[in-house]
Amino acid sequence: MASRSKLSGIQRQVLALYRGFLRTARLKSPEERHRIESVVSAEFRENARNIDRKNFVYIEYLLRRGKKQLEQLKDPDITGLSTLEINKVYKPLNLK
Amino acid sequence: MASSLAGSALSFATPVKAVKTNSISFTSARKGNAFLRLQPVPMRFAVCCAAKKETVEKVCDIVKKQLAVPEGTEVSGASKFSDLGADSLDTVEIVMGLEEEFHISVEESSAQSIATVEDAAALIDKLVEQKSAEAKSS
Repeated sequence: MASRSKLSGIQRQVLALYRGFLRTARLKSPEERHRIESVVSAEFRENARNIDRKNFVYIEYLLRRGKKQLEQLKDPDITGLSTLEINKVYKPLNLK
Repeated sequence: MASSLAGSALSFATPVKAVKTNSISFTSARKGNAFLRLQPVPMRFAVCCAAKKETVEKVCDIVKKQLAVPEGTEVSGASKFSDLGADSLDTVEIVMGLEEEFHISVEESSAQSIATVEDAAALIDKLVEQKSAEAKSS
């Protein structure tokens, strides 16, 4: 890609969610922040590599799940990543 | 009478352009300075906004650090993030890093329009200036 084309709506949602996680991570302790950033970055990049970009149903599902996880993480009493369920197994067929 | 006024108007334009004097009297016209006021005054404001050099250099440092650019790779104001190997997630991280470094907050719509180091530096200077202006007013 020579230059960035205009992002689709769902792409913007993904990036907005990513920004939200990074912003929230700042509010945690430095050690925990680094851990959150690593996990979130790995999760987003793995999804970017493995998921068909046409699979809108699954992407929207992941967006909804991500938003819920982010809301949990925003709780000041949440100090760690234990509430984040990192699901490494992708079974898009299960959605149907 | 009408033809004489027209004659005056015709003779008005040429002497002004040639002589460029402010005091011209017309004995035939009752309002001597009436025509002088009709002259439009051209006003041109040329404003060029370029990011400060130190801002560009700081942005370059942050970009190198964030993208783990190989040693010796040239990063300048004209460098495109995509040319340096950044995807959209990387760009989000760069913008977040710049926010922290310069203590600013970048709108999502603004963040998405950033494609080069110069773009980022110009936006940063603008936001920093806005922030200092708000601080003074309050």
